[in-house]
Amino acid sequence: MKTNMPLTKPIRRFISETERILDTEITLLRKPEAPPGGTLLDIYTYNVDKSIILFPANYIGLLKDFVIAKQCTHLLIKGAAAKKSGYRILSYTPDSVYSGMRQVYLDALKDEAKKEKKLPVKKLIGMLFILYRQFHEDLNELPWNPIVNARIYHRMEQLRKTQLYILLKDGKQDMDEMTDMMDIVPRRYFVLDKSMFYARDLYLAKTLPSDKLMPVVNIPQMKKFDHLEVKEMLTTRWTHTAWYQSKVFGDAMLTIMEKHLSVDWNADSTLEYYACLYQVGVNLTNALLAYMTMKDWFIWENPQHLLAAQEQAATYEKAALKKIFGDLIEDS
Amino acid sequence: MPVSEVPRLLKRAEHYVRQTKFREALALYDQAIRLEPGNAEGWSQRAAAKIEMERFAEAIADCNQALALNPNHADAWSRKGLALYHLGQYVPALAAATRAVTLNGNDASAWYVRGICLEETGKSEEAEIAYAKSLELEILLDIREEKNRVGK
Repeated sequence: MKTNMPLTKPIRRFISETERILDTEITLLRKPEAPPGGTLLDIYTYNVDKSIILFPANYIGLLKDFVIAKQCTHLLIKGAAAKKSGYRILSYTPDSVYSGMRQVYLDALKDEAKKEKKLPVKKLIGMLFILYRQFHEDLNELPWNPIVNARIYHRMEQLRKTQLYILLKDGKQDMDEMTDMMDIVPRRYFVLDKSMFYARDLYLAKTLPSDKLMPVVNIPQMKKFDHLEVKEMLTTRWTHTAWYQSKVFGDAMLTIMEKHLSVDWNADSTLEYYACLYQVGVNLTNALLAYMTMKDWFIWENPQHLLAAQEQAATYEKAALKKIFGDLIEDS
Repeated sequence: MPVSEVPRLLKRAEHYVRQTKFREALALYDQAIRLEPGNAEGWSQRAAAKIEMERFAEAIADCNQALALNPNHADAWSRKGLALYHLGQYVPALAAATRAVTLNGNDASAWYVRGICLEETGKSEEAEIAYAKSLELEILLDIREEKNRVGK
């Protein structure tokens, strides 16, 4: 371990354990510009010599410890997968980009047909790839979040209060995302995106457990569904709102999560255990993709494939647009 | 350079520290201390930069200079505690961190170091209390940072 900052005993132990299991060295770095959740630059994803955990400079105590615990757990899952069966993440190809963008376009057309104020065509076209990538990013991150958090909750008692604060904050932020574009984004995608976060928060509220994490308690837009009776919930007034629909789909996604996340969170730390957690994450991701009918949107590939795809993203987008709109799209 | 320039030098040095450019910060602290050796703040801030550069023994010496000039300099006690912790001297580190939080109860870092030192010296229950206090302050700071970020 390479660091010059104070760390609590359990965190030091956990870092050493991670290094031992993966036979690697971890560097901890404080960076003013690091995102609140920290960043993991790991040897299994990027072309780097050693894994680095970056966290915000203003995190000096337990907030920093939690970021380290979270990123170390994620590193263990990635590393175990790489050593056991091969580490793969969701990536995309020109064909999968086309499938996704075409589906978004068809759904957007259905929405636009019902709208009085239509979305300018240029805006609609621009939105297709943005939405596609948003789901790519979310599906590469969200399924791992409940796994990592459940493991930390059971293994690092000292961090529970810190974890609750961070999760409450994350829940609010994730639910806020996209809300300023609520009227632009096709309803289906807005609802599916919010449903995933709703299900994750609900799962964590039950697993931790903490009522404070219940979306109907923590998320301002969801608060109106707290203490409502079933009869009231089913009135037209509610059923037509995107937030109510997010709750309904989110409840269904919670069932998927609970089915896939039946794991012994207290098991000893071994390479086999973390490889098993990786498989759980892959299965959960696949189940969510199937539920959202996005199976052909992405492919499982090695991280280098994704890095290369990201470099080609603009080309893929252009090719997909050409395929969808034909000559109506200018080459420029 | 006149002594009146010292506050400006310290501010510039602090800016470098925030950017993790410790070498540049240290050069400015050296200059400030040469101009005004009686300024406890200069010694204390230089100690912080030296801790970041893992020059812990030198940091302790700087803290001692600051405390000789002002025995109630809370940050100097806090930094001394941190430097001593890094050298594995948990008992004196605990004493320094305790003094720091007595002088400034809002120092999240000092509460955290106090917690670690209590843990290292086998006082787990007291450590829990120190950690809880540190977390409470850290959350307040984080909320403030978040507001600034959203504001920007």
